Amino acid sequence: MTKRLELVCPAGTPAALRAAIDAGADAVYLGFRDETNARNFPGLNFNRNELAQGVAYAHENGAKVLVAVNTYPEAGNPGPWHSAVDDAAMLGADAVILADIGLADYAQRTHPDLRRHLSVQASASNAEAIRFYHRAFGVKRVVLPRVLTVAEIARLNTEIPVETEVFVFGGLCVMAEGRCSLSSYVTGQSPNMNGVCSPASHVRYVDQGSRLVSKLGDFTVNVFADGEQAGYPTLCKGRFVAEGKASYLFEEPTSLNAIDILPELMAAGVTALKIEGRQRSRAYVTKVVTAFRRAVDAAARGEPVPTGGLETVTEGQRETTGAYSKSWQ
Amino acid sequence: MIQPSRSTPPFSPILLAGMLARPLPPALLQPALGIALAAIRRNHPEVFERLSGLGSPVFLIDPVDLPFVFVLKTDVQAPELRCRTSGDGMATTATIRGPLLTLIDLLEGRLDGDALFFSRELTIEGDTEAVVALSNAVDGAEIEIGAALASLLGPLAGPARFLAGAAGTVFSRLSKDLETLRGAAIGPVLRHAAAQTARLDGLDEAVGELKRTTAKSRARKR
Repeated sequence: MTKRLELVCPAGTPAALRAAIDAGADAVYLGFRDETNARNFPGLNFNRNELAQGVAYAHENGAKVLVAVNTYPEAGNPGPWHSAVDDAAMLGADAVILADIGLADYAQRTHPDLRRHLSVQASASNAEAIRFYHRAFGVKRVVLPRVLTVAEIARLNTEIPVETEVFVFGGLCVMAEGRCSLSSYVTGQSPNMNGVCSPASHVRYVDQGSRLVSKLGDFTVNVFADGEQAGYPTLCKGRFVAEGKASYLFEEPTSLNAIDILPELMAAGVTALKIEGRQRSRAYVTKVVTAFRRAVDAAARGEPVPTGGLETVTEGQRETTGAYSKSWQ
Repeated sequence: MIQPSRSTPPFSPILLAGMLARPLPPALLQPALGIALAAIRRNHPEVFERLSGLGSPVFLIDPVDLPFVFVLKTDVQAPELRCRTSGDGMATTATIRGPLLTLIDLLEGRLDGDALFFSRELTIEGDTEAVVALSNAVDGAEIEIGAALASLLGPLAGPARFLAGAAGTVFSRLSKDLETLRGAAIGPVLRHAAAQTARLDGLDEAVGELKRTTAKSRARKR
């Protein structure tokens, strides 16, 4: 059993970084302002100077900075991805989070002392794959895809020589991380290559009086009645009409919240907990990190974990423990 | 439960103040807006820098409880914030609409923009990318409007803070009184609506059951 779970928190901006650390983050993860990370959203992320200042603030407060360089380099243009790894190392980041094997190889050869974590975008969910990343690229930690039960994670932890990090809060996707082409099909841009799923440049909300229509490109992804909770038009969370009935065919807009099962995750040998949401506000960061800081500390003391109070910042204002306690195959 | 229409302003002191301010020309607000924007530009240049890749979008910001709208031009070299009685006929990149206090809380980072939008307290129209960029840029800036304005008042900042605190207390009391008044005025209507909703739910259920029975009956005949 781990002594205390490490809390890894999102930082979309320098202000969010400070908010996360002030609220008790053990580590923050962030990305540069380009396509080298999977949250390449307008107005978000860090320039090199902001990263340097962020690293200084984090280290002064005993926290770590993990730099996500977790998209797949464009064929024939590895420059931006190599620069991202080089600059993360030069500016004092504690680790880089990588998905592409070529980039993992580059990082290992060029900056052998820079800690390497495997991004969820690599979708490594079995012991053989994880051992390969460890053996070939010296990966020290793997961020597990959100497809495993707690029992499967516990078994995996006995079979691999690296730390595991698991998502505990935030948006979910259809569990094909690094391989999903739904966004690319409609917009030409994907989280894998461009760092954006259903990019805002292709999103339109059309107010039709009694209903709000959300569109991605030319596709209507959802129609919300007056007063109904709205959502972002990612294709996997669209409400589509099939056989005359509108329903969420792939996945309902629901947020992961595993705060209730932190003791089980500790017992499963997990090292770190990841909170999703670099694209969310610092109000979200403060609220969620504060709640998880209390919960992680309580779990470490063997006390009941305080839960609740995060419904207002969840997508669809609904929560699930997702695959951790799945009853389906 | 009846949800208010998206364009319905909340029944608050801001709404009453807005009604009282309706005869005033928007130009009266312009000096204060100019000071606030200058303070933001000086203290948080990164806001406009983060928007610079989008070609200077123009935002119409519409506090639904005031008789004014604000037009924000985000040109990194020469940003502008202007007050108008309406945005009709203006070429804007996007519109952001919501109650004034919600917009201020959002600006100062106290509320989460996504949560506000998903709960329909905030509405947006137009270029979503520009709105996302503005939201991220503003959220990353740690703007404090009160502090920015107070810093410009020099030796008067102390008395101004005292007056703002006193005004806040009065505002809070007035908000509670108005909420009580609202409850008294529309309570019976809300109860009636709740009863009607329950009745409609019952009818929906009955119609659904009838459809299922009919479908089964048809299937048997086949």
